[in-house]
Amino acid sequence: MATTAVTSAGIASEAPRSDFGRVLAQRERRFAAALLAPAFLALMATTTFPLLFLVYTSTFRMDLAMPFTNGFVGFENYQVLLSDERFWTSLLVSLVYTGSTVALQVVIGLALALLVMDMKRGQGWFRVIAILPVVLSPAVVGMIWRTFMLAPEFGIVDFLAINAGLGSKNWLGDPTLAMVSVIAIHTWQWTPFAFMVLLASLASLPEDIYEAARLDRASAWQRFRRITLPLLRPAIVMVIIMRTMVALTAFAAIFTVTAGGPGTATEILNLYAYRKSFTELSIGYGSALAVALLIVTIVISGILFAMRRAK
Amino acid sequence: MTAKRLRVFALLAISMVFLLAWAFPIIWSVLNSLKTDSDVLAYPPKLVFAPTLDAYRDVLFGSGSILPNLLSSAIISVGTTIVTMLMAVPAAYALARLRFRGKKFAGFYVLATQMLPPVGIIIPYFLVLRNIGWIDTYQGIILIYLSFSLPFAIWLLVSYFEDIPFEMEEAAYLDGASRLKTLWRIIIPQVRGGIAVTVVFVFLNAWNEFLFAVVLSGNTVRPVTVAMFNFVSVEQTLWAKLAAVSVLAMLPVVVLGVVAQKHIVKGLTVGAVKGGGRR
Repeated sequence: MATTAVTSAGIASEAPRSDFGRVLAQRERRFAAALLAPAFLALMATTTFPLLFLVYTSTFRMDLAMPFTNGFVGFENYQVLLSDERFWTSLLVSLVYTGSTVALQVVIGLALALLVMDMKRGQGWFRVIAILPVVLSPAVVGMIWRTFMLAPEFGIVDFLAINAGLGSKNWLGDPTLAMVSVIAIHTWQWTPFAFMVLLASLASLPEDIYEAARLDRASAWQRFRRITLPLLRPAIVMVIIMRTMVALTAFAAIFTVTAGGPGTATEILNLYAYRKSFTELSIGYGSALAVALLIVTIVISGILFAMRRAK
Repeated sequence: MTAKRLRVFALLAISMVFLLAWAFPIIWSVLNSLKTDSDVLAYPPKLVFAPTLDAYRDVLFGSGSILPNLLSSAIISVGTTIVTMLMAVPAAYALARLRFRGKKFAGFYVLATQMLPPVGIIIPYFLVLRNIGWIDTYQGIILIYLSFSLPFAIWLLVSYFEDIPFEMEEAAYLDGASRLKTLWRIIIPQVRGGIAVTVVFVFLNAWNEFLFAVVLSGNTVRPVTVAMFNFVSVEQTLWAKLAAVSVLAMLPVVVLGVVAQKHIVKGLTVGAVKGGGRR
């Protein structure tokens, strides 16, 4: 896709040879700088500066509850972090949460896109209904699930569980079930995203390859395995990358449902950094946790982008 | 023939299950918002009941009304949208159409800022805003919201700017129009549709935001996503009212989402599609 930008720049650039051309090019640069300046100043102020400030605060003890202990501590916060069991647990919870939600979204989303693609009527229903969860605030989604869906007995999920003979469960009170619940909620909200993107790219696949495959008597499975999947690969990888980044930074949907509990059963790294900073008011150590989160995000996105480039 | 009919039937059943699964939690919230508390808590759950608008009357006009919070959400979202668009439209135009050194880097920078985890930067925001007395103010929250709305809006707009033919600008320059005049008179009208879609998405994201709001808001500025918590306390949950507030919080984004339906995939995948090769 970078090619579009390259070609459009190419059209514009009849390399300035004359003085007149050079003056024009200089004017264009100045005009560009003037247009970019407000947005870039705002972006630097709201992203780059806070990032540097975060790294700086992570080298301090900064306890809002006990300000008299504050001071520069160098890398002490990071040393504490490496031997902090709660940190490693939260990292593991983050990875389980991200891995399972992304896998579920892609598998269900793809299966459903393939199914709907073959439908002659009713595709419109899917397109409209699929939008609903995606546009909602994760905070509101979390609240709805926590109450009307997962509450014991009158919550619909529990009602269904009782009628299925499983009995009433403590969906958010039991550590394992709480994890299953937050994963299910995230999957519920974001599978439509994978579904819509994959449906759109399925619809753009060339029809004639399938005709040829049918003439060659390729089975439905062969057509999927040999044609659809390779052609869809870029879209699938894109969905995986985007959903992974979002799942890694998810906050509201867990915060509203379990707040990381029971205990630390659903405490992803995000929530740990938040709780440490704003509940336990230990800002310096919270900053170190946030830096760790940043590093994890960079490492994982690095892996994913390498995967995208690899054939 | 029967095997085929069975297959069609199975597919229909599966699709109905999924449609229902996605729609149900929302429908159920709407139904619950029209019940009394005891109807909400009834077991087995009631599908048929005497609907009442009491919950809406209470949350809107009763004590602890959420009208100020809806207003807060509206001011934050509209403010963020206006400031974002004023900055993003010129920047996107420059990135899409002009030649200058460091253009590639500028594009990459915008994308990279989008990947910053919000939890990572909320701590500095809190410390700085507290120092300058901007906690619990509209200017504070709107400024911080630029961190996610700007990169998104710039990239979405770039994709629309790139679709306009170059001949239009060239013709205007030949007529002696200045660059700014050309941008304002010729280019902007061409991307009106793209600007409208971007406005929808920026508004939607600002309306839905939660983490920054929960840390940076207070008694004066408190959007509805945060105020919702007033209805679930440790002592008791106000079920019907909570349902009514949820529905009110969902209403604007659902309407906008359905209106912008055709553009939603593009809006959701922006950056990944356009900037994919550059990252």
